[in-house]
Amino acid sequence: MLKKKSFIILTSFLMIFTLMVTGCGGESQDAATESQPLIVAQRSDAVVLDPHANNDQASSRVMRQIYSNLINQNESMELEPGLAESWEAIDELTFEFNLRQGVKFHNGEELTANDVAFTLNRALGSSHVSHIVGAINPDGIVVVDPYTIRIATHEPFAPLLAHLAHTATGILNEKAVTEAGEDYSQSPVGTGPYKLSNWLVGETVELVIFEDYYDEANKAKIEKVVFKAIAEDGNRAIELETGGIDIAYDIIGTDVDRVANHSDLAMVRDMNLSTTYVGFNAEKEPFNDVRVRQAINYAVDMDLIVDVVYLGTGEPSRGPLGGNVWASNQNLKPYGYDVEKAKELMKEAGLENGFKTKIWTNQNQQRIDIAEILQNQLKDINIEAEVSIMDWGAYLDATAAGEHDMFILGWVTVTGDPDYGLYPLFHSKTHGDGGNRTFYTNERVNELLDLARVNVDPAIREAAYIEVQEIVRDEAPWIFTWTGEELTGIRDNVKGFKNHPAGHHKLWSVYFE
Amino acid sequence: MHKYILRRLLMLIPVMLGVSFIVFTMMYITPGDPARMMLGETAAPEAVEQLRSELGLNDGFFTQYGRFIYNLVVHQDLGRSYKTNVPVMTEILGRFPTTLKLASLGVLVAVIIGIPTGIISATKQYSAFDNVSMVGALLGVSMPNFWQGIMLILLFAVYLGWLPASGFSTPKEMILPAITLGTSSAAIITRMTRSSMLEVIRQDYIRTARAKGQVESVITNRHALKNALIPIVTVVGLQFGYLLGGAVLTESIFSVPGLGRLMVDAISSKNYPVVQGGVLFIALTFSVVNLFVDILYAFLDPRIKSQYK
Repeated sequence: MLKKKSFIILTSFLMIFTLMVTGCGGESQDAATESQPLIVAQRSDAVVLDPHANNDQASSRVMRQIYSNLINQNESMELEPGLAESWEAIDELTFEFNLRQGVKFHNGEELTANDVAFTLNRALGSSHVSHIVGAINPDGIVVVDPYTIRIATHEPFAPLLAHLAHTATGILNEKAVTEAGEDYSQSPVGTGPYKLSNWLVGETVELVIFEDYYDEANKAKIEKVVFKAIAEDGNRAIELETGGIDIAYDIIGTDVDRVANHSDLAMVRDMNLSTTYVGFNAEKEPFNDVRVRQAINYAVDMDLIVDVVYLGTGEPSRGPLGGNVWASNQNLKPYGYDVEKAKELMKEAGLENGFKTKIWTNQNQQRIDIAEILQNQLKDINIEAEVSIMDWGAYLDATAAGEHDMFILGWVTVTGDPDYGLYPLFHSKTHGDGGNRTFYTNERVNELLDLARVNVDPAIREAAYIEVQEIVRDEAPWIFTWTGEELTGIRDNVKGFKNHPAGHHKLWSVYFE
Repeated sequence: MHKYILRRLLMLIPVMLGVSFIVFTMMYITPGDPARMMLGETAAPEAVEQLRSELGLNDGFFTQYGRFIYNLVVHQDLGRSYKTNVPVMTEILGRFPTTLKLASLGVLVAVIIGIPTGIISATKQYSAFDNVSMVGALLGVSMPNFWQGIMLILLFAVYLGWLPASGFSTPKEMILPAITLGTSSAAIITRMTRSSMLEVIRQDYIRTARAKGQVESVITNRHALKNALIPIVTVVGLQFGYLLGGAVLTESIFSVPGLGRLMVDAISSKNYPVVQGGVLFIALTFSVVNLFVDILYAFLDPRIKSQYK
């Protein structure tokens, strides 16, 4: 009797397992539709599909397809009309935007100026994106008529238009947001070329074409787009190679050649808006001496770092801004690797016998590698550096509090405007967790950054930013390290794909050959 | 028996409370501000402060912990994820079916390989099969999961092109993760089955059965295996419970959106509600699986049943 019982139990166990296995397969096989979906893999799944609830890259890449902005920024970082057909500056604080008429949201509602006002006010209240829209004065958002809206800033703010092209300012439908309440992120409604069809959290986001997309000439060419989260970098390349996906974002250095040399695949490579830097604590001895900072810049072989750490992708930075950022000064002379000059400067600073210091980084393998190479190279000028790897939260807290000597961080000038890439990092108002973790202070830099922020004349702004970059390059609060590259792998039947320097690639122009 | 089960279920309450308190304390004392981590290096200090106050992070330890327990007990609410603003329960339940499938398949692979191999190894002790399978078991235990996963991907996805390298939606996609996960458990089960069977087949009643002329296969399967099953069931139960907690490495390699990855992400971003909810959920499933194994003992061995009061 008991024998039977135990075997029944074991057999039922096995049967349940088997049923589970067979039970879970059918669904996704049925999912194949008549038209071929475009499958795009990125490192992680979208966190949210509400532009005000987070500001991460994976979410922005999906939201770019769902939402439209008043202003678009093309792949050359030029501003173009979006939901706003035209705009003009009314005074030094205020822009007036004329909206397109007849634009439909995914829920069938028509876009009006009230939706724009609602979106901007909501963004202002969000801790996640308030830094993008923080310059806007909530009292200055005025609906003139259903298709006209005025947006004023607290102070003159020249980069406003670039900020309005950021994914965080994608226009929402007031009714949809209000109705969905706290769960809006799971049922996003935009005016973009694709709308959400299904979201398996952590796995895939499925978008389908929005037939009533306002821009008839640029309607999506593929019926369905699936964003798939593949965390392992190598697996994205493998899946691309084996035909499991059509586009793979963020191909890593070790896979670039393999994808580029594969007969069925192609690499799409473009410089992006990111930079990695090693910051000094410019308020702390001995880094408060500009000669020490310059000496360290000379003592580091940046070409080696780019070759070893980034495997030849991206390029060594000349200054604080990459070439894709408007008014970036590409005439800056890179420090170059010159140990003798570094030794001279150390001697001038009275530190020919070197000193002990610490290089902090978070748990990011590339940054750890940079720190270790630095540690090794700094020995040439008698600097004994200890590498300290910290937890991300503790790292941000400690660098904001100025407890560090040297640290490694990155920055993305996502708006493409130099204000975003210089003001938070080098203005003395932003010391610490405002972004300037080097605690660098230079009155002339402050003055120029303030001037370029409020002045709308592009020529004046450009001249100011060029000068700021020269000063920053010479005073070296950073070791200018690396400017990143968008590395996208595609199958060769995928056409019409272009990298966007901000990483939020537009997929509605893509088609299969 | 019912009383025993009820008592065991009631004992879960202090266990869960203890677990939640320990996890909360550990998350609280580790350095790093969740609001700052979430907003990253680009956020203004005012935004960080605003988020801290929205999340209630400015309250003291006991206020925060008390609020968590109150919401859990009174409203059965584990809170919302700091990162996605989705209710924690929804996030966990969204991932749990995947983890359950992966763990079940892993255990299935382990049982299918482990038990028969262990039985044959025991009945043919020191034979070539025994030696090979014991070496295999040693390899299975020693091989790191992530390495094995990558090797399987290279072989079956890249070179042979038979199976996909990632995902967990179709049966084809499930094969490699299940094998990766099941191998080390299979090795443990093989060794346990072998040693347990060896112990049993040396006992007098087995000799008696042989003396009576019973067929060897019947002796092995009916007489020996049943008595050898208790430690095997224990190991299988433990392995299953352990895998339900999420197999982080396997999930990462094959991009399986399970509980393990959810937890790792939540821990690294100090997403308190998800860590709390996730650990409680895992502790609960682990305890339930253990209870189930204990109940199973009673069916396998009536002597144990009489002790369950």
